[in-house]
This record gives sequence, C-alpha cells and structure tokens, in this order.
Amino acid sequence: MAVNPNYTPAPPLPPPRFETGTLGWIRENLFSNSLDSLLTVIVGALTLIALFFGLRWVLFSAEWEVIVTIGGRFFIGNYNSDQVCPGNNCFWRPQASVLLITTLLGMAWGVAGSSFVRRIAVGVSIVLALSALLPYSLEKMGWDVRILLVANLATVAVGYALARYTSLITPARIAYLSVATFVISIVLLMGISGVPGMQPVDVRDWSGLTLNLVLAVAGIGLSLPIGIALALGRRSNLPVLKLICVIFIEVFRGVPLITLLFMSQHIVPLAFPEAFPRNSLLNAGIVITLFSSAYMAENVRGGLQALNPGQAEAARALGLPGWQTTLFISLPQAVRNVIPAIVGQFIGLFKDTSLVYIIGMLDIVEIGYTIIRGRVEYQGSTHEVFVFIALVFWVFTYGMSYISRHIERRLGVGER
Amino acid sequence: MSMLSRTLTYENIPVWRHTRIIRRTLQTVSAIIIVALVVWFFTNIGAAIDDRDIPFGFSFLDREYQTPIGERFIPYESSDTFGYAFIVAISNTLLVSILGVIFATALGIVIGVARLSGNWIVSNLALVYIEFFRNVPLLVQLLFWFFIVLALPPVREGYVILDWLFINNAGVSLPGPIFPESALWLPLVWLALVALGIFSATRVHRILERRENETGKPSYPFTVACIVIIANMVGWWLILGAIFGDAPFTFSVPAPQGRFGRIAGGVTVSAGLFVVLIGLVIYTASFIAEIVRAGIQSVSRGQVEAARALGLSPMGALRSVTFPQALRVIVPPMISQYLNLTKNSSLGTAVGYTELTNIGITMTQTAPAISIFVLIMAAYLAMSLTYSLIGNLYNRYISFS
Repeated sequence: MAVNPNYTPAPPLPPPRFETGTLGWIRENLFSNSLDSLLTVIVGALTLIALFFGLRWVLFSAEWEVIVTIGGRFFIGNYNSDQVCPGNNCFWRPQASVLLITTLLGMAWGVAGSSFVRRIAVGVSIVLALSALLPYSLEKMGWDVRILLVANLATVAVGYALARYTSLITPARIAYLSVATFVISIVLLMGISGVPGMQPVDVRDWSGLTLNLVLAVAGIGLSLPIGIALALGRRSNLPVLKLICVIFIEVFRGVPLITLLFMSQHIVPLAFPEAFPRNSLLNAGIVITLFSSAYMAENVRGGLQALNPGQAEAARALGLPGWQTTLFISLPQAVRNVIPAIVGQFIGLFKDTSLVYIIGMLDIVEIGYTIIRGRVEYQGSTHEVFVFIALVFWVFTYGMSYISRHIERRLGVGER
Repeated sequence: MSMLSRTLTYENIPVWRHTRIIRRTLQTVSAIIIVALVVWFFTNIGAAIDDRDIPFGFSFLDREYQTPIGERFIPYESSDTFGYAFIVAISNTLLVSILGVIFATALGIVIGVARLSGNWIVSNLALVYIEFFRNVPLLVQLLFWFFIVLALPPVREGYVILDWLFINNAGVSLPGPIFPESALWLPLVWLALVALGIFSATRVHRILERRENETGKPSYPFTVACIVIIANMVGWWLILGAIFGDAPFTFSVPAPQGRFGRIAGGVTVSAGLFVVLIGLVIYTASFIAEIVRAGIQSVSRGQVEAARALGLSPMGALRSVTFPQALRVIVPPMISQYLNLTKNSSLGTAVGYTELTNIGITMTQTAPAISIFVLIMAAYLAMSLTYSLIGNLYNRYISFS
C-alpha cells in the first residue's frame, strides 16, 4: 500500500470534557443518570437549606455567652469553686495530670516515630495550648492557668526528646508510666492533707468532664481484663464456674445500665459491711465497669470462637500446658481479631458515663444543667449548652474510633 | 519426697500431675469460693434488712398505688394496685420499644443504603449522620430534643399543618384510628382476621409466582396479593361492623376544642413519648445503618454484577439478589440493636416519659426498693430473653434453609 508522503496524522483530540477532571468527577458522582441528578438536586437543596439555617443559628441567633463566660466549668465543674477549694488554687491539679498525659503522648511519638502518633500528640498539645487564647477575662482564667495550658507544648517536646535521644523509654515502660500517670492523677485530684497546695477534695466534688474521664479510664482499664476472665470462665469446662459466668454476663447484659446504677445506690451499700469504704463515685465506677465487662466478655468470646482450633491443637502438640496455650496462643489472636468490637465497647462505656447524671452525680451533663438553672440569663441557652456538651463527647469518641481504625489497618484485621 | 509421691498416687500417677484430679480440685475450689462469695453477699443484705427493718416482700403489689401515671395508653386510675401500675409501666416500655424498632429499622435501612450510594452528596450526608449520632451519648441527644420540644409553642399557639397535623409542646396530634370505648376486644378480633388475610395473601403470592415462573404468563403476584390484603381489611371491617353494630375503629381528625384549645380526636403522641421516640430512633438508626452497610458489602460483587448482567435494575438487584443474602449477616446484630433500643428506652426517665424504670423509681418511695428492683430486673430480663429467643429461632431458620 502506497503511503502518501504528504500524510501527517491529525493531532490527538483532547479527552472528552465531561469525562475527566472536575467536570468528569461531578458527572460521575452527582449526575450519572436522570434519577441520580434528581436526587442530587433535591438532597443538595435540602442540605443547603439545613446548612443555611444551621449556620445562621450558630453564627447569629445562638448566644454563646454562656460557653464563653463559664466554659471552663464544663471541664472541671465545681472542683475549683470556693466551697470545695478555698482560695481557688486547685486548678493546677487537673492541669498537672493533663501535662503528664501530654508527656506520655510525646514519649509514644518518640518511640513509635510514626506520622500517625505525631499527628495525635502534636494535635492534642496544640489544641490545649490554643485554648489558652480563649476570650475569657483574666479574672475567670488567670495567667497561671494559661501558662499551664501552653506548657503542654513543652511537655510533648520533653517526652519526645526523652524517648528519641535517650534509651530510657521503651514501649513497656510507657505502659507502666500510663498506669502511674493514672494513679498520680487520682492522688492529685484527691489531694493530701497537710501538704500545702494539696488540700483534700472530696470525690463527690470531682465534677464535669473530669468525672466522666476518671470513670471512663478506670472502666476501660478494668473491664478488658475482667471481660477476658469472664469469657474464659464461660468457655471453661468447670460447670460451676461456667454457670456463674453465664448468669453474670446475661444478667448484666439484659438489664439497662440506669437500673443497675439506681440499684447500686440502694443495694450495694447493704451488701458491704459498714467498715467498707464507699461513695457514689466508687459505686458508679464498679457498676459501669461490671456492665461493660459483661459486653466485653461476649466480644472476647466471639473472638475465641472464631479462632481456628488448629492453633490451640498445634500449641498443645508442641507441649504447651493448657494455661500457656490460652495465654500465649489463643487470647492474643482472639483479642486482636475483635479490636474493632472492643474499641466500640470502650466508646460505649465513655458515652455511658453520662448516665451518672441520672443518679445525681456532677458529670458534664449535670454541670450543664446546673449552669442553666443557676442564673436567669443562661436559662435561654439550653440548646447552646447541650450542643456544646455533644461536641465535647463527639471529639473524644470520634478520636477513639479514628485511632481504632488506624490500629485495625496496621494489624491487618480482617485480611488474614 | 519419694515417700510422699508413692503414697499420693492415683492410677500410678502423682496426684498433682493427674489431670483428672487437678480438674476436680479446681472445680471444687472454684465452686466453694464462688458459693462463699454469693452467700456472703446475700447474708450481708439479709443482715442489713433485719438490722434496719427494711421492708421486703411482694405484698405491696395488692395495695393501691395512688399515684397518677403521666402517660399511658391502657386505662389506669390512681386507685389501681401497684401490680396493675407495674403492668402499665411495662406496656409503656413495650410501646416505645416496638414503635422505636419499626421506625429505627426503616430509617436505618434507608441511611445504610444511602451510605453505599454512588451519589457523592447522598453517601457523604449518610456518613455525617452516622458519625455524628453514633458518637454522641443518647442521654445528651434526648435532653437536646427535650429542650427543643419544650421550646415549642403552647397548645393554643401551636403549629397547624394542613388542619390535620398539630405540633405543640403537649405533643404531636395527627389523624388516626380511635377505638370503640365499649368493646376494646373488637379491634383485636379485626386484627386477628386481617393477620389471617395477610397469611392467605402470601399463599396466593407464592402460587401466582410459581405459575408465572412455570408458564411465563404475567400473573402480577404482588398486585394480586396487595388487593387480597386490602379486600380483607375493608371486608372484615364492614362485616364486623354489620354483625356487632359497632365498627372496630373509626378514623378521626384532631381538632382544637373548648376554651383552652385542647386537641381532641385523632392520635396524640404526647411530648414525652415523642422525645423518647425521636431520640431512640435517630440514635439506633445510626447503628442499624452501619449494620446494613456491612451486610450489603458482605455480599460478593459478582452477585450484583451477575444480577445486572441478567437485566435486573439496580433497585431490583438490591431487592431480590443483594438484600436476601445480606439478611443473614444483618439480622443477628440487628436483633441485639433492638434489645439495646428496648433497654435504652429506660433513659426516658431523664425526660419524663413514664416507662418501667421511671415508674419503678417512683414506686420505691412508697414500697420496698429491693422487691421493686427484683421486679424491674425480671421484666427487662424477660424482654431480653424474648429477643434472644427470636434471634436463635432466626439463626436456626437460616441454617436449615
């Protein structure tokens, strides 16, 4: 075939405008067919209307006065008030435990060295430091409070430096230090009589988000081991133990938490001798922990059941005794496989700490209520207060599920 | 030592190495410890009850309760007994949980499907919905809705939509059935007969469907089944009305009455029930949506592709191929969500809905607290056992088919 010497191929046409780039994306994701277009228009219009009214409320009609004036009370409640802490110099104690926590985060960043942990550590400390710039008057929030908030940046850096440039910090030590931090925080909150600046504060006066966090951290720390023990008990071949575990799990899962909390006030005091130290915080903490560990037990049991029996058989064949097989072979795999469910349970536990409001404890919800009821000018601000409380909870719970998703991806859950 | 090991043997094995002996010992020791703990717990309670003369027993159930119950849908008067008031309380809990389950399932399925939609706006709106409402405590949400409803205008200045729907701070009134006062059993008879009609409609549907599949002639099984059901409803309504001279129910439209503009007629969902229902439905739907999404995603892609290749529409593929298969994955966690919803209805206490926990707590002021807690726990445990029973039956049904 003769080739025309004058032939020059036409330049390639550009890609169709509606199938690439922004227009292509819009067409594929918003207007792929007529039904889709209709949906986009209707839902888009409704979203815009909702956004308009929502933003108008947030920016113009809502009175954020209450949050701006006494927002700090949501976090520590009455802890620093005149009755609880004469002289109002207790504020540094919760703040010191926050400083310890940011130090730990810095250490975790230094040890792990991953961008994920860095984002969390730096993000948390920056948010804390920025809250020093909140528009409170200096009377409400003095320089000392603000400096302690900004100091979080320094503690993260110190923690990071310790882990990065010395060999003092290992992952195991971080775990020990976390437990130590929790204990120190409790001691700081309780105070020690006789030490200046550490006047004792009754646990009934721990309030606000601090109370929710103390309950949640203690519950999370204890409910996993108790739950694992219950799950193993339910799977054991000792009939009495098994029966007791089954009854315990089913009763605690079958009854609402509020009923249990009310009962803890009426019946638990009867069950323990007078000498036994008891207070509402301990009662509520025990009930929430047991309630959560019953659910945890079912999660762990699910993981154990889903495990390939070959794992335990191989371990036994290699000569491991029964308890070592459970401890080193079955449990780690079972727990790893149900991490999403376990974190979901942790989130549920944190949300459940809000229920102590119903038995009259001063958690963040009750503090919100007292603020509304306390002053006439705040009585119209109920929506603002509850939207704020919802946001505070949301930040914590969403953060937890974000971390959980990251861990899942790292461990490759569901891929093996 | 060797002496010892020679004497303490069983089947020629030293006892501390013999698995059967170890197991028996462990068994006995654990049993003794547990029984001792339980006995200690209950003797303490018993001693405390004796010491402080705390009343105990169930004789109070026959006494008059003498306290009004704010919201109820079965008749109750203050002169009724504690026992009957307790039943009213249970019926309130059941009402809110049954309505909640129905609405939460519907909303949850819609949002779960929307989450998987190819439409960017729709799927992201569903994501925002799920991530927000799942992560905020139900109590905070309930209190938020509670204050929204409180902020609604009073009855006389309430919103009226189309003269049919009345929204005010006493609740929501909408057109609905009202039942004859004299014969409350009549609607139940009608309901039973209609249930029979629905059953026969499913048979008709199956027969017509088989004929359509075998002969290829269009037989409209779904349309015919719907007609059978509607004919049953109307027919039995007319027949029962003709026989007893009193219709099983009549429809009525709410209308303001009297000097205070109280809304009469129709069905009024009181403010407390309304708040609890909205809170529970919105919260539970976010969990159900995630369950539905996971269930649909568990069906392998090839199934949908094959259905589309055979010419089914996207909705048709979802309805008759994806969904039936996803149901196996969806139903068990869904039932545990229903149980959660039922238990969460106890949070109605915080917003003034008189359900089981609320009435129980009020009762503790005039009756022995311990007995009341025993009754409340028994009631909730019975409900949760019913749910597990349904779940187990479903699992068996699934594994046999």
